[in-house]
Amino acid sequence: MVVVRLMNVTKVFRTGVVGVKDINLTVNHKEFMALLGPSGSGKSTTLYLIAGIYRPSSGKIFFDDRDVTNLPPKDRNIGLVFQNWALYPHMRVYDNIAFPLRIKKLPENEIRKKVLETAKMLRIEKLLNRYPWQLSGGQQQRVAIARALVKEPDVLLLDEPLSNLDAQLRISVRAELKRLQKKLGITTIYVTHDQAEALAMADRIAVINNGRIIQIGTPEQVYTKPATVFVGGFLGNPPMNFIEGEIVEEKGKLYIVIAGQKIFAPAHYEPIIRRGGWRKVVVGFRPEDTMILPECRDRNECVKGRVYAVEPMGREYIVVADLGGELVKAIVPRTLVLTDDQEICLCPSLEKIVLFDPKTEKSLEVLAAEKE
Amino acid sequence: MTREVSGDMTKSNLFSKIKDFIHSDAFIFLLPAIILIIVFYLIPIVVSVYMSFTPLKNWNIARYIHEFVGFENYWRFFYMVTHDPTVRPIFITTVVFILVTLAINVLGGLGLAIATFFMGEREASSTQLLWLLPRMTPIAVYSMIWYYFFHGSAIGTLNSILMSLGIIHKPIDWGQSIIPWGPWMIIIFVNGLVGVSYGMIVFTSAISNIPKELVIAARVDGASNWSITKNILIPLLKWHIVYVTTWQMLSLLTTYDHIFLLVEWGLVNRYYGTTWALYIYNMAFTAAEKDLGLAAAAGVILVIVGALLGLLALKILGFEKMVKEPRGDI
Ligand SMILES: Nc1ncnc2c1ncn2[C@@H]1O[C@H](COP(=O)(O)OP(=O)(O)OP(=O)(O)O)[C@@H](O)[C@H]1O
Ligand SMILES: [Mg+2]
Repeated sequence: MVVVRLMNVTKVFRTGVVGVKDINLTVNHKEFMALLGPSGSGKSTTLYLIAGIYRPSSGKIFFDDRDVTNLPPKDRNIGLVFQNWALYPHMRVYDNIAFPLRIKKLPENEIRKKVLETAKMLRIEKLLNRYPWQLSGGQQQRVAIARALVKEPDVLLLDEPLSNLDAQLRISVRAELKRLQKKLGITTIYVTHDQAEALAMADRIAVINNGRIIQIGTPEQVYTKPATVFVGGFLGNPPMNFIEGEIVEEKGKLYIVIAGQKIFAPAHYEPIIRRGGWRKVVVGFRPEDTMILPECRDRNECVKGRVYAVEPMGREYIVVADLGGELVKAIVPRTLVLTDDQEICLCPSLEKIVLFDPKTEKSLEVLAAEKE
Repeated sequence: MTREVSGDMTKSNLFSKIKDFIHSDAFIFLLPAIILIIVFYLIPIVVSVYMSFTPLKNWNIARYIHEFVGFENYWRFFYMVTHDPTVRPIFITTVVFILVTLAINVLGGLGLAIATFFMGEREASSTQLLWLLPRMTPIAVYSMIWYYFFHGSAIGTLNSILMSLGIIHKPIDWGQSIIPWGPWMIIIFVNGLVGVSYGMIVFTSAISNIPKELVIAARVDGASNWSITKNILIPLLKWHIVYVTTWQMLSLLTTYDHIFLLVEWGLVNRYYGTTWALYIYNMAFTAAEKDLGLAAAAGVILVIVGALLGLLALKILGFEKMVKEPRGDI
């Protein structure tokens, strides 16, 4: 049973650069937590803090009830996998995997048993006599994972382990890695900048930007209810559309005016809008939750636009539409035939719309919850 | 018939290859280096070899240059090494000097590079600067410092320290009276201190090229500084160790500048403080009777020994193994 808890952890480097600020994060026993964020956001820093390679400038880190804030890495029983895998180039695969056990001074026959077991689990038992430079990228990556797992760590930390693999391999390895994690039941923290990877593998995702955690939730929650414009724009391919809107009230009914056209305000937002007295908002809607019709029948659910470009993606088409000067995207079935500059009707699914405050860029739900 | 034809063809092939090379871009880039090698290396060697077969004395070139004595200079040299009681010490000194100074240079450089690797940045750079000082100091000034340090009278720094500590009561003439250990200690100490910085620089830059994740990974696994050094840093520095050892050995074989001053100033014993290179220099330039033919023969042998030792070092330390076998077929 290991639960990893970070409490108000801040890391300021000696250069004065703030690596991470006020991180609060709990990773439950056996949980697969993805740490998702763009380059330079502080993902590796967070991971290295958990590993004990960096000491926090302030805050505390717990493994269960044990305060590990000041423990060196070796006393934390963690397995760490690096982006470049960091295999020892002068050692054979066998010795690479055996290294952590040799450091622990285990008897050589026990080491052999464990190395073979782990190698078998990762299907690299035939490669044990090779040097790292004689392996493909995918094989090297397995060796790195084997080396992290062989000492049966309480916590497995992975720093973008798949980013050096080609796209095909990445997709097949991520399913395998997820299965392995569930089978072994190790608390896992997985750093990635690839939103698809995080969505596909994680039990929960922590989105980090500029050294701060912005949202923690299940892939479903983070994807459908982004807490900020950033999260909505970072997840999804293509990402969420954003467009400015204004709230108006007519005959006791709330509407949002987008590009000069009125649509109903989503029903679940009505109490929030009324209580907060919102006027200007940013409307967020996902391309796949947007329907495109050849023409609008005036129902206050759709807005008129014009085809800007069509991108065939194989399985479906991405339509880039011009909405009063703003470009938004929609995913449509291949059966729909559209030509450039054609007038179309764009219908975002009302119950899936997310509204944000243009100033703080936080969603109205989050702001409402913060007020309470 | 066929054989003749093919022989002809290879000959003209080789010829056209040389011609191609002369007309290629590579030749233009290599030309400065080729000229330098010819002027500063090949010509002196050819001249030395030539001189070693003449009885040239006292730079009287006009008189001796056309006389040939065959291998006589070489036989004389071997005879002196084996029989002359004043020449034998020079060779023992050369061997001891090279082996011990080499060990100090390579191990010291390696030790410093690794120690500074585990230090904080600021301590590391000041430590390195400190060890670069001997290299940055002009040879005469640097030799002067140690001249006063080891001086045989009571003004010698070492003597006055030991005397004020009450360890000795009379000044010791380190370089002249404790034969051979005194002069050996001094020339090894003075040269060792200069040479350490070279290895330090090479090893430090090599270590900084090792991905830091390798070290972090080992640390996470619980490896101590010592085990990181032994299991990761040193194996990865193997090539550099070979390189520094070979380079340093060859430069020790031919160095004489500090030693020349220390001998000249009378700090160290003339026989147990002189190395082969300095011996050649003295024979050609400072001796009362300048036996240039003999000096040239000793120099030629020194070059041959240097070349053999260089090859041997590369072989022993596994130069071939360092060049990785290609992955699969190419
Ligand atoms: N050792 C260090 N010293 C000073 N600044 C550092 C150090 N390590 C990281 N930083 C800075 O801290 C910030 C966060 O870096 P971090 O390595 O955690 O980013 P990351 O999210 O892992 O990015 P990437 O996806 O590019 O690996 C960056 O601005 C970086 O420049
Ligand atoms: Mg990183």
